[in-house]
Amino acid sequence: MDSLKEDQSDTQAIDNINEDAQNIREKEDTEKDMAPPVGNSIHRSGSRPQLDLSGAAIQGNFEERDPTILLPNQSDDISHLALDIGGSLIKLVYFSRHEDRAVNDKRKMSTKERFGVTNGNRRSFPILGGRLHFVKFETTKINECLEFIHSKQLHRGDNDNAVIKATGGGAYKFADLFKEKLGVVIDKEDEMNCLVSGANFLLKVAIRHEAFTHKEGHKEFVQIDHNDMYPYLLVNIGSGVSLIKVDGDGKFQRVSGTNVGGGTYWGLGKLLTKCKSFDELLELSQRGDNSSVDMLVGDIYGGLDYSKIGLSASTIASSFGKVISENKEIEDYRPEDISLSLLRMISYNIGQISYLTALQLGIKRIFFGGFFIRGHAYTMDTISFAIKFWSKGGAEAMFLRHEGFLGALGAFMSYEKHGLDDLMVHQLVERFPMGAPYTGGKIHGPPLGDLNEKISWMEKFVRKGIKITAPVPMASPRTTGLGGFEAPSSKGDALRCDESNLNVGVLHLVPSLEVFPLLADPKTYEPNTIDLADPNELEYWFTVLSEHLPDLVDKAVASEGGTDDARRRGDAFARAFSAHLARLMEEPAAYGKLGLANLLELREECLREFNFFDAYSTIKQRENEASLAVLPDLLMELDSMSEETRLLTLIEGVLAANIFDWGSRACVDLYHKGTIIEIYRMSRKKMQRPWRVDDFDAFKERMGFGDKKPSFRHKRALLFVDNSGADVVLGMLPLARELLRRGTEVVLVANSLPALNDVTAMELPEIVAEAAKHCDILRRAAEAGGLLMDAMINTQDNPGEKLSSTPLMVVENGCGSPCIDLRQVSSELAAVAKDADLVILEGMGRALHTNYNARFRCDALKLAMVKNQRLAEKLIKGNIYDCVCRYEPAS
Amino acid sequence: MEDSTIQDLTLLNSPVDQISHLAVDIGGSLIKMVYFSTNREKSVDKTQNNSSKDNLLSGRLYFLMFETSKINECLDFISSKQLHCRGVQHHGFPASDKNTIKATGGGAFKFADLFKEKLGISLDKVDEMSSLVSGANFLIKSVPSEAFTYVNGQRNYEQIDHNDLYPYLLVNIGSGVSMIKVDGDGKYERVSGTSVGGGTFWGLGKLLTKCKSFDDLLEMSHQGNNRVIDMLVGDIYGGSDYLKIGLTSTAIASSFGKAVSEDKELEEYRPEDVARSLLRMISNNIGQIAYLNALRFGLKKIFFGGFFIRGHAYTMDTISVAVDFWSKGEAKAMFLRHEGFLGALGAFTNYQLVEEFPCTAGHYNRNPLVEDLNDNGIIECCLRASN
Repeated sequence: MDSLKEDQSDTQAIDNINEDAQNIREKEDTEKDMAPPVGNSIHRSGSRPQLDLSGAAIQGNFEERDPTILLPNQSDDISHLALDIGGSLIKLVYFSRHEDRAVNDKRKMSTKERFGVTNGNRRSFPILGGRLHFVKFETTKINECLEFIHSKQLHRGDNDNAVIKATGGGAYKFADLFKEKLGVVIDKEDEMNCLVSGANFLLKVAIRHEAFTHKEGHKEFVQIDHNDMYPYLLVNIGSGVSLIKVDGDGKFQRVSGTNVGGGTYWGLGKLLTKCKSFDELLELSQRGDNSSVDMLVGDIYGGLDYSKIGLSASTIASSFGKVISENKEIEDYRPEDISLSLLRMISYNIGQISYLTALQLGIKRIFFGGFFIRGHAYTMDTISFAIKFWSKGGAEAMFLRHEGFLGALGAFMSYEKHGLDDLMVHQLVERFPMGAPYTGGKIHGPPLGDLNEKISWMEKFVRKGIKITAPVPMASPRTTGLGGFEAPSSKGDALRCDESNLNVGVLHLVPSLEVFPLLADPKTYEPNTIDLADPNELEYWFTVLSEHLPDLVDKAVASEGGTDDARRRGDAFARAFSAHLARLMEEPAAYGKLGLANLLELREECLREFNFFDAYSTIKQRENEASLAVLPDLLMELDSMSEETRLLTLIEGVLAANIFDWGSRACVDLYHKGTIIEIYRMSRKKMQRPWRVDDFDAFKERMGFGDKKPSFRHKRALLFVDNSGADVVLGMLPLARELLRRGTEVVLVANSLPALNDVTAMELPEIVAEAAKHCDILRRAAEAGGLLMDAMINTQDNPGEKLSSTPLMVVENGCGSPCIDLRQVSSELAAVAKDADLVILEGMGRALHTNYNARFRCDALKLAMVKNQRLAEKLIKGNIYDCVCRYEPAS
Repeated sequence: MEDSTIQDLTLLNSPVDQISHLAVDIGGSLIKMVYFSTNREKSVDKTQNNSSKDNLLSGRLYFLMFETSKINECLDFISSKQLHCRGVQHHGFPASDKNTIKATGGGAFKFADLFKEKLGISLDKVDEMSSLVSGANFLIKSVPSEAFTYVNGQRNYEQIDHNDLYPYLLVNIGSGVSMIKVDGDGKYERVSGTSVGGGTFWGLGKLLTKCKSFDDLLEMSHQGNNRVIDMLVGDIYGGSDYLKIGLTSTAIASSFGKAVSEDKELEEYRPEDVARSLLRMISNNIGQIAYLNALRFGLKKIFFGGFFIRGHAYTMDTISVAVDFWSKGEAKAMFLRHEGFLGALGAFTNYQLVEEFPCTAGHYNRNPLVEDLNDNGIIECCLRASN
């Protein structure tokens, strides 16, 4: 049974509030209740000998579910925790790993065999699943931090003499405390060294949208050219400020610094305002007006500008200068004003010193990091303004999303065998677990052990009343009770949502992800068609997702039998996802550059976090069955047509079948109007050309039906499929069959993990097998592609026969989203793509929301029905139910 | 300020004085005043000795300050001394601008109406930067023993070579700070500045210590210990130096940083310590920014002026150390004895009456009154009508 067990851990563990390094014991308890995913056991032949996977390439095959991290040579006696103990805050970066479980998936093995997929170009490492977490504590609450480490057993390597890498001044100061309380030895790492290697890692390897500029409240993510990032000036604003010139990996120099930093802001602020925390002080500043304490140029010049030297009346002439001439006590000033004045003074000063230092060194790029900034808009604006002002626009301040964790990350990197050096940007996936919208990584209260505690936390938390400002629907009669969608009105005290803070997710290290090799230009590739930077667009999609939420919760709860437990999880999911939406509505850049694909994936991840693995499983199964039942009739109808007519009918069929989509509100309503085949036929009948985007003639010509061209046959086609049921069975399968008949190898590319009612790579073999029962073409192709287990055993005996037919194969795409980012696909997809010369993308998610503008090195056909009025207007200047048949020859 | 006012008043009470040529610099915090006064007997001596010209006048420059918030005291003073209407008609000087005085600083704009209304005089506005520069140039070039460095508690007066004066960086620390690159007479550019200046020290100090005056605050800082409230490198590194980056354990890592981790109220800190931390923070910061700007333009000499310094040993020491530290000894911080009056003096020179030849400053050994003066003391000089 163990070998069948799926690793569910990511679904419950992806939060940085608390999470993870899940005790194995705990996990097993949870897992016993889990049903194995649908379709996993079908065609599984117990008698078949197990292949030895030990050197295998694609291990932990469901990458997203069991994100495998490569900590290649990681020996067992080192801890997976690194600390940065600063004067004010303790930052932790820790790695949680999961035992490698060989999942007995035959489809995978056969595909691997078929294509000889090996380790790709990577070395053969023992592969461990895992993630990097970023959390922080206040230094004064070091005991909470120790407890956290203890409860998660982060200090234990696999032997008892653990050594923890740490940096920051506190690494010296608290070494004895760690020894005493946790029995671990602190191994001190040089602070600057850590800052630099942390920053280099983030800029060079880790995060796509790590660096950004900040102007008048607007964040713009900057793509750093890895080949042209040095030298840069790294300004780390902690309690004090260090200015470091970085020339390369391990090549840097602390060139300057100032003692007027975060500690000054907080220290003076504390004395002047009685604020109890840095965050409180920062928040105060948001409501402040510094002109009541600062002496402005206008105050001196009687409201006139001193334009001769370029100073406007509102320029601060003297910070706190107005206090001099007023006969007021400290109590007479608003703490808000004082906080803002302090903040401006210090930010501006740091900006100025940084600019002057950069100028002196001839450096153009200045990155600001450290805990003072905290993604605080005003701070960033002030620093940016200072840089821009003094450089007369010649230099630009840039900020880092993981600003506070540079040192801790660098300390983590200092483990000799961390294996992170070899990672590439496409092997990292950042996920935002349930607590992300609230805490930005800051730990509050005791660690949450299991899913149940998380749900409780979510319930309690929402009851506490954190302000949610996004358009979250009020309690709908159709929800599962408990007021899952309520919009609490007041701000909580213990936990707060810092409006300007950027959130830091958990970094999933997935070494088996690769860049899709057929992309024409991976560097300029942008998956998202819809840019959510436009606030109207953002609000529209938030509303769509919010409105769809009750329905989704219903489906999810029903998929788990509608039990009380499922209801409770459903509510928690709704709360968590609403919180994400609210957070993103408030600050679209909170999670990095936001595209529609990210948003849709977030929803799926959020479902998985509350153990909903396949909310649509029942529906998918039902529709698959219904569609498969009518498939033979459809195939017969098709076979009666001429080849040329058939091609058109097949494309019409794909577009018509694409109407079956539970992800589309408009289509859900349709379902009540007839049976699948009725809707399909009705829909196909309406497929009158020309379509809104119609390259069918070009495609047809390419397929050999033109007047002049000689008949052309593609060698291998990759079909990116979309929904279960009619969409795949009545739309894509017949098209695949046609290609097979023409002698083109077909690879069906499907999701690794469920997303809405999308068909998964796990489910496809079963569907194909069922379809093959009534169709020889499909049967022989499936046998050749190793999709039919019993047949495959036979072919192993007669290898000659196996090669006699054009194969039909199934590969997973490496993702669990209704969209696809082709920079991060499974290595098996990357492997099969190398011989492919036709890509067919089907459905809104993969062909419109993402990749509509993607260019490929081979022929590409994008097919979809637009089931959203707004998208239709925006993208193709058309209407809902318009169709897209976009064909682009190899570029 | 009260002190200087009283001193000068004593002096002014002398019936023999002839007062003329008032110039004011009205800043955000302080009003600085310069005026010329003759000693009748003396002037006769000088004129007889020096030349046959009868429009040459020997006398002294006097310096005073008022708080800008108490501008009425200033107006009363001017009124009572009839400073504004004595003009320069005595001794045959032109009397054309009888009701006009030279003024600079932001307040010259802001309070122009007030001067007109209360005293019936117009302010002839002189550009602030221009005044600072001509004031500084005048002092450095014409007044002996004006500029000095401050090292280890010692003032070392520097003989400035007039031919090798330019370019230099003039850092005027008033309420805010202006940094001006000076290339010659009337040739200058404001290259930088910071809002963290004297006003910040005084303003924050007032809030934090309830101190009533700038001088009290300075005085208090003298008895303070900044280690109580500043986070030192040693506090972070458990007492050891962080030598790799050249920081000793006593270097300040974060000004006021220690207040973060301690659970103390403002009242539990000694005001002296708070004042000390504040002074060090601001002085050090100004020193650093000044150095960076000097470096940017390749300037070796940095002159610090403005009311913030006040000849205060610890302030000068901190600034000097900052410049020395950051420049690795390459650049020198220099201070001016009449630091607070650059603007006012510059406005005064705008009367274009000041003689070129050397004056003497503060060397009135024969006069007991003068001996009592501090360094902001009077300057002996000669005036004449230029047209």
